[in-house]
Amino acid sequence: MAEAFSLIHSDRSCLGEQSVSSQSGNRSVRVAEKERRKNEAEDSFVLALKYFTDVEAGTPVTGNDDFENHLVQVEKVAYSRGLAPEAIATMLEFAMSSRMGNGPCVRVLKCLLPASVVPQDCVVRAVAWLCVGKIPVNTKVLFVKWVLTVFDMIEAKDQLRAVYGFIFSFVTEETLVRVWHGYNCLCFVVLVRVFRVRKLLELQSKLGRQPFLLHLLSLYKVFCPELVTLSVPSRMRSGFKNHVNPWKSALIGVQKRNGLQVASGISLTVASKEKTNSRKRKLCHLELPAMNSVVNNEAKTEQSYSLKVVPLVQINSFAQLLENMHRIELPAQMGSLLSSSLALQYLDCVQDESALLRLNFWLGHAFQEEFLFSGDGGACQNSEETLQFLNRLLCAQNFLQEGFYSSETFLYKFLTLWDGSLFRPQILGLLSNIPVIPSSQIERLVFEPLKQLYFTSSLFFKCGLLECMTNMLLRWLTWHSVYALEDDLDISLNSHTSINMTLSGFKDSVMELIHFVGHLACVGLRLEGCHSLLLSFTLDFYETVCDTFLKYGLPLLVMPPPGVFYPAFLATETVSVDRLAFIMHRYKINLASAKSQEKLTEQAFHISRQTISEFNHYVVVMVNCLWNSKMFHTGPGVQLREELLVKSNVPQYWKRFDLIHHHAFMSYAFDFHNQVCGKKSHPWHHSKPWGWYVEYLFTMGFDGLKQFVQTLISPQLPAGITQNQNQQT
Amino acid sequence: MSLLKPFSKLPNINTASILLVESEEHLQQSLADVLVEESSITVNVRLAKSLPLPKENDKDRPRIDLVVFIINLSSEQSFISAEASLKYLDPGYFLGKVCFMVTSARSAAVPTERMDAVRKLAASLHSPLLFAEHQTSEGVAAAAERLLGILKVSAGVVPMTTALYLSNLTRCTLPTDIEQPSFD
Amino acid sequence: MNDPGKCLLKRVIRRIPANMLKTTLSHWGRVSDAQLQSVDFTTSKWALTEKLLNICEENELTVKHVTELEMIHVIDYPNLGMWYAFQLFDPDDAAPSVDMTQFKEQFKFHLSKLMRNVSVKIKKHTDEAIWIRVAWGDGFSRPNHMKPTYVVHHLQSSYVFVTRLTSKLKPLLSQALVLSTRYQGIKDANLSGRNLAALRNLLMRQYQQVFSTKFSTPLAEKSENISNPQIEREQAESATKRHQMACEAFGDGVLPQLQSAVYKLETKFRDHNNKTMTDREEPFKCIVKFTSTNLLESLRHCASSGIASTPVTPLLSSVPVKGRNYFVITDNVPGSSSQTNRPQK
Repeated sequence: MAEAFSLIHSDRSCLGEQSVSSQSGNRSVRVAEKERRKNEAEDSFVLALKYFTDVEAGTPVTGNDDFENHLVQVEKVAYSRGLAPEAIATMLEFAMSSRMGNGPCVRVLKCLLPASVVPQDCVVRAVAWLCVGKIPVNTKVLFVKWVLTVFDMIEAKDQLRAVYGFIFSFVTEETLVRVWHGYNCLCFVVLVRVFRVRKLLELQSKLGRQPFLLHLLSLYKVFCPELVTLSVPSRMRSGFKNHVNPWKSALIGVQKRNGLQVASGISLTVASKEKTNSRKRKLCHLELPAMNSVVNNEAKTEQSYSLKVVPLVQINSFAQLLENMHRIELPAQMGSLLSSSLALQYLDCVQDESALLRLNFWLGHAFQEEFLFSGDGGACQNSEETLQFLNRLLCAQNFLQEGFYSSETFLYKFLTLWDGSLFRPQILGLLSNIPVIPSSQIERLVFEPLKQLYFTSSLFFKCGLLECMTNMLLRWLTWHSVYALEDDLDISLNSHTSINMTLSGFKDSVMELIHFVGHLACVGLRLEGCHSLLLSFTLDFYETVCDTFLKYGLPLLVMPPPGVFYPAFLATETVSVDRLAFIMHRYKINLASAKSQEKLTEQAFHISRQTISEFNHYVVVMVNCLWNSKMFHTGPGVQLREELLVKSNVPQYWKRFDLIHHHAFMSYAFDFHNQVCGKKSHPWHHSKPWGWYVEYLFTMGFDGLKQFVQTLISPQLPAGITQNQNQQT
Repeated sequence: MSLLKPFSKLPNINTASILLVESEEHLQQSLADVLVEESSITVNVRLAKSLPLPKENDKDRPRIDLVVFIINLSSEQSFISAEASLKYLDPGYFLGKVCFMVTSARSAAVPTERMDAVRKLAASLHSPLLFAEHQTSEGVAAAAERLLGILKVSAGVVPMTTALYLSNLTRCTLPTDIEQPSFD
Repeated sequence: MNDPGKCLLKRVIRRIPANMLKTTLSHWGRVSDAQLQSVDFTTSKWALTEKLLNICEENELTVKHVTELEMIHVIDYPNLGMWYAFQLFDPDDAAPSVDMTQFKEQFKFHLSKLMRNVSVKIKKHTDEAIWIRVAWGDGFSRPNHMKPTYVVHHLQSSYVFVTRLTSKLKPLLSQALVLSTRYQGIKDANLSGRNLAALRNLLMRQYQQVFSTKFSTPLAEKSENISNPQIEREQAESATKRHQMACEAFGDGVLPQLQSAVYKLETKFRDHNNKTMTDREEPFKCIVKFTSTNLLESLRHCASSGIASTPVTPLLSSVPVKGRNYFVITDNVPGSSSQTNRPQK
């Protein structure tokens, strides 16, 4: 604080000198200006700046052509190219000192568009002027808004931090608080102090639960949860409206014209091409902000800080990151982390949770205010922007191999309002990234809304959802295999969140998921007439499910429901039958190894008898139909009376689904017949031609079938084929 | 009071009829335009502002297989009108032949109470609640596609399933208290 | 040229859009073609003004000439201010025979008698409208050209449109108008809006009006556009009826642009649930204001889409019928529940 006081002091003395010198200089400047009227624009701009530096306090504004003329010059330059740092300093000084009254102040502030950087000193001086108190509130608000807009362009922020206390004191002015939200993007963790929190709480008791105060408090809570004990209501909408920004479009224009001049400081590994127009969140709401682009020149002078910090922007390689891991300064705009792989790597390995919390807060805000509850409920105007944002987020999540907490909460809400087609690939992608949900919540949060969407949506949505569920299961299983601590059966699900789940809890969740997808697939196949595309996605899922024990070490085996098994088995495409055979083969291997482990160690899990009997039933059906030509003969499944079957007039009905007559294999049988037997009709089911036929099928690439036959029918093929066949023919 | 009855008329072969009820008449026309494009069956679309339907059309009105109430969440009137129309439907319709379609659900202007009220209404009638992005043509097309799926089932065109079965799977559940983001 | 002239010129130039400046200036006719050629119209307004000031100095133009330029601009862009309509009543026998020159002389004569320092400029526009520009002074100061009043009047019509008139000067202008048009009196027509043409069209009924008939109207046929036979509107008939009624009330096609309608209620508060307010003797005063970029079209849409009930309440339909958009509503008979709108003044 003392520092700030001295600032004001020096400021005043400075002003005094200026006004003395300007009195004499004023007239001559005017004369000179007359002479050089026809000079180039550059000169007149310099002149204009000189005018604003020297102009006397109390000069009238109305009817002052010189003033008008000069200001027009400055505006022209500002809107076309942006202002140089010195020009910014001059104009800001002029505006905030209100030497010509408050009238021109607003106009000047509006044209303060930096071409490159904003010098810190001038901002600090302006804050000092703010404290003098001559300036009306709306101008103050405008100034704060300006600072927020150009915040990432300010060269260095060390001194600004020092005067934060002053800025904070304006909190009491209600109108200022409303624009305050962004100011906390300054996010100086060190600045959260007990007395400030107390002050805010005091203010809240005076004004009631104002949304902007709550936002501020919730922000503080992010940084120092121990200071803010107040419970902040979770549903907060539109606490701060900082979309209306007088500089937005102009600044974009200036920056576009200047090309990459500003972004030159950025050296990100994932520097993308689209980056040129994504500058700050306030400019384009959903765009990722670029990382603070101004290189801190005064890093060496920051000795006053006990710990020398290194901004993340300055780190260019992984080695550098490792070196400076302990003293990294995060950028003001957390969203920029998403686009830099180094930053993501930092997030991944850093122990401090505050970075992740801040990123989550930013994400949550972006989702909530600008996507989920977009002002007009339509996404047409910024769908391109949103798409880019979601894709970037997905990219980051895939890089980290885990979802962000805020995207998770967003999804739970969004799924209940989703029409099933808006950003479908992105939403399903995000959905497949969510971490394990306790089985008590999973139904309510995810399954219920998805169910309603699934059954009313098109085939492609159904396929997409099944794929998403497969990915989700894969991810969960991978987490399990990575984080499972085998001794105490306790797993930490996520490297950052501290949710711990017991193994049985995890198993319950996975089981819920598998049953849910089984149900979806079952009914979906029925509704879509066993569409082969849907069947393929269903089998994809079960290819993961059948291997949970061996591949991912999860002691859990769930069989597919009959509604999945039979459509796959009776499918017209050979591929589906082949894949089903492969899945059954994997089940067999998993079950066998689980059994053997059960015998070996007491610890291993107990496979329920039902699972085994289901498995046996399926295998018997498959073998009987495909191999033994004994359809309808045994098993607890489909039972039909003999008379009925005879009545159907299907000749040799028991053979309808053997490897020869099954409609998936019929064409192969024909082919084989033509190739091998020629015109002569051989009794097919004799062991020799049968063996040849099976061999032929194997050579056609039906590996699943091959493995199925090898593991479940006769391990020493083809010698053992005969044993079943002889009974039949 | 003239009730609209689901089984008072015989169905036509390969034909399904859908009634779109929307008090604001914004979305129904564009939905109808997409719906009649369907090639696998003939889709008849009847548009209404509210129920009851005028008596004089009774004769040439086909059997209505599905009644859709389109509710614009940003307008209270829209919800009230739909609610008032419900009582002109025969109870038989609520066995899977009614669905609600909600627009502007993502708008910031929508009070949560209204959303909850719509959810409660749909849940109490065991009917599905669909959401639609009515502002883009893709959104309208997607909404029409979903309606068509339900319509086909309720018109009995899809083998192995019935309207009641499908509505059992898709009906809206009571509003759930979804966790809001909190950073505790 | 003196200072007021310079000021006025600067202001006029600032107001004329840059792309229109050249045409307006050539229309003005006070600047020669050669001079116009020498001006670079792509430079900034500020530089242009300087250049034009020099030219005007060269041509020795005065304030008078500059006011001509201003008039040209105002006639070209009449929709920049708020226009108020006034109605003349009780014409003399001589009223229909008043012609342009007569009116011009009379108006100038009467106004200058009422006020010493006043500068009047009258110009006949192509569409037979008389445009009058009055710069007011007072007994001691010269006419202030920075705050002129504009008056538009069509001879042989009973309406006058005025903009930028202060209440203090209203009686003077009214008297001059009444005398020069040979009417007995003038009153406020309770109609205002930003679009001058719209006010005139509304008052002179120059928009497509629809009258109720028992037979099927062309409107109904029009709405039966070619649509897919598989799509049928169940309530098409009532929709057509509503549309018909809405058009009867507000007119068909493009409607005059009004920006607002104001209802000043001075009626008793009636609410069975709120005894304390209902029992109060004095009327409950409030103002209801409807605003829109095109109020009449909005109202028509409300009625035809069923948001507002049909038949349209007289409160709304009297905007086009009576040609006014300011109403004071009072209780007709104390105690009765019917409300009517009574023309005020």
